[in-house]
Amino acid sequence: MQKVLYKIKGGKWFWTICKYAILILLAYQLLYPVLYMISSSIKAPADSYDPSVVWIPKHLSNVGFVDAFKSMKYMSALVGSMQIGLGCAVLDVISCALAGYGFARYRFPLKNVFFVCVILTLMVPTQTIILPYYLNMRFFNPAGIMSLVSMITGKATAINLVGNNLAFFIPSALGAGIRSGLYIYIFKQFFEGMSSALEESAYVDGSGPLRTFLYIMLPNAKNAIVTVFLFSFVWHFNDYYMSKQLLGTNRRTLIVALSSLRVDLAALIGGQTTTDPIRIQTRIQAGCLLTILPMFLLYMLAQDRLADSIEHMGIK
Amino acid sequence: MFKKLPYYTKRKIYGFLFITPWLIGFLLFFAVPFVQSCLYGFQDLTTTAEGMVGTWVGLKNFDYALFRDTQFLIQCAGSLRDLVTVPLILVYSICFALLLKKEYPGRTLMRAIAFLPVIIGSGVLMDIMKTDVFSTSMNTAESTYLFSSSGLTGFFQSMGLPVGMVNFINDVISKIFDLTWRSGVQILLFLAGLHNIPSYVYEAADIEGANALEQFFKITLPMLTPMILLNVVYSVIDIFADYGNAIIQMIYNTAFSSVRFGYASALSILYFLMVAVVLVVLYLVLKRFIVHAEE
Repeated sequence: MQKVLYKIKGGKWFWTICKYAILILLAYQLLYPVLYMISSSIKAPADSYDPSVVWIPKHLSNVGFVDAFKSMKYMSALVGSMQIGLGCAVLDVISCALAGYGFARYRFPLKNVFFVCVILTLMVPTQTIILPYYLNMRFFNPAGIMSLVSMITGKATAINLVGNNLAFFIPSALGAGIRSGLYIYIFKQFFEGMSSALEESAYVDGSGPLRTFLYIMLPNAKNAIVTVFLFSFVWHFNDYYMSKQLLGTNRRTLIVALSSLRVDLAALIGGQTTTDPIRIQTRIQAGCLLTILPMFLLYMLAQDRLADSIEHMGIK
Repeated sequence: MFKKLPYYTKRKIYGFLFITPWLIGFLLFFAVPFVQSCLYGFQDLTTTAEGMVGTWVGLKNFDYALFRDTQFLIQCAGSLRDLVTVPLILVYSICFALLLKKEYPGRTLMRAIAFLPVIIGSGVLMDIMKTDVFSTSMNTAESTYLFSSSGLTGFFQSMGLPVGMVNFINDVISKIFDLTWRSGVQILLFLAGLHNIPSYVYEAADIEGANALEQFFKITLPMLTPMILLNVVYSVIDIFADYGNAIIQMIYNTAFSSVRFGYASALSILYFLMVAVVLVVLYLVLKRFIVHAEE
């Protein structure tokens, strides 16, 4: 028995070393693109030709950042991204928590059909519906309501929401934003996992369903709320298709700006560089770094709390 | 009036009220566009000042897509082939989640790094990185291989491996980036799933003398099966709807570059049907393996 224990202990050291070796490898290959971004965005374009420069540049330069900043119209794009990301995240949390709670705690006719519909919204690629979706936003007239309004006010029958933040906020407020189905699923699973004793005592004490939801269930659903908020924020921030279509030609988010950075840079720094991918590369990497920077900083500030919440979001 | 209703009817109404916002959103922003998209598939659409005007052309668009378009079916097959990465993603993310489960020095840092792709890994960024990070030469067309492929290829060839095998290895290596940067959400879901397995199950197994491997295959894996199903569905959807997916770009270009809206709708409907068939088949197959833990 003693011998066996000793053997296990020896094995333990071996496993610990193996584990850390694997962890370092994983960390390296996950951080590789970020390190590469940093390394190539701070190097002077001339260094790209020097084969002896691998990671640490010989000549530092901020020309990449300056050019990328200019051609992305960084500040306005950042403001746009933040407005859409934060606004939609808040609205998604509210609408999906309500729906998730309804699905988790109540029985009503067609409930299962509706829940299949929730899953269906996740299954259909955005690209399948983007065209009519775009047209609905371009000539926004839900169920003829705008026509009714126009009969009273005498204005146009449909309003144009393209280029307006409302084109993102309205779907999110109604639980139909980007991947809202997943958030409803998360909330449903979470509320189903909560004990119903608290609610029952609240009902006995004479609290109504909405009051119970707001004062008993929501304060206990912190982990699910943080998770959904983070997901919604990140996915709206990183979204390309919806943003590209619904923002029209005048406004851009960071991701949309990044997607056309190569073309914009070529226009900015003149024709001779377009034929030369290496020289434009440092600037594109600078653009990538600028794009991920806000998310990266926010994440670094709050990662402990966020990751803990997600880890214990309690879905089954 | 409302107060007089029986308790259960009231509960039904309350439940319905809770999901009403979602229901409106579903009808307005999903059901209506989806049905419209289906209808567009049967039309030729032209833009005018008052919006879209369509003429009915029956099955022409679908007929063209399936029997005359030289690209569509090839691209479909291509994106079906991409599904090979799904099992790899699952294995990788289960392993990573297991590594993150227990406390050890440096775990928090590792967890932060593991979630990084979720935070910053947008499709556009991944596309740029793929054509850029791994280019060690000026030649960007075939330089999407991780860790300088030319060196590795030379190494394997000098070892006397056949060319087909070297190419295969290169292919796998080039997918590592894709694989790891797609697995953020899956790791996270598995980690959440791992924390839901009650610790007394493991304690009982310890007392009974089960070793770590047995515990993994007899406890962890069965208890994770609902999460595995969720992750399979998530990964498949993620791959099919990816920004870099050839078919998605084809649909997009058909609609917005060559302005053939009707044909683009037909393509996207066919594509959706393919995705739906894949998902339903996977769901039905995997459903048999799901273990429901008794409370």
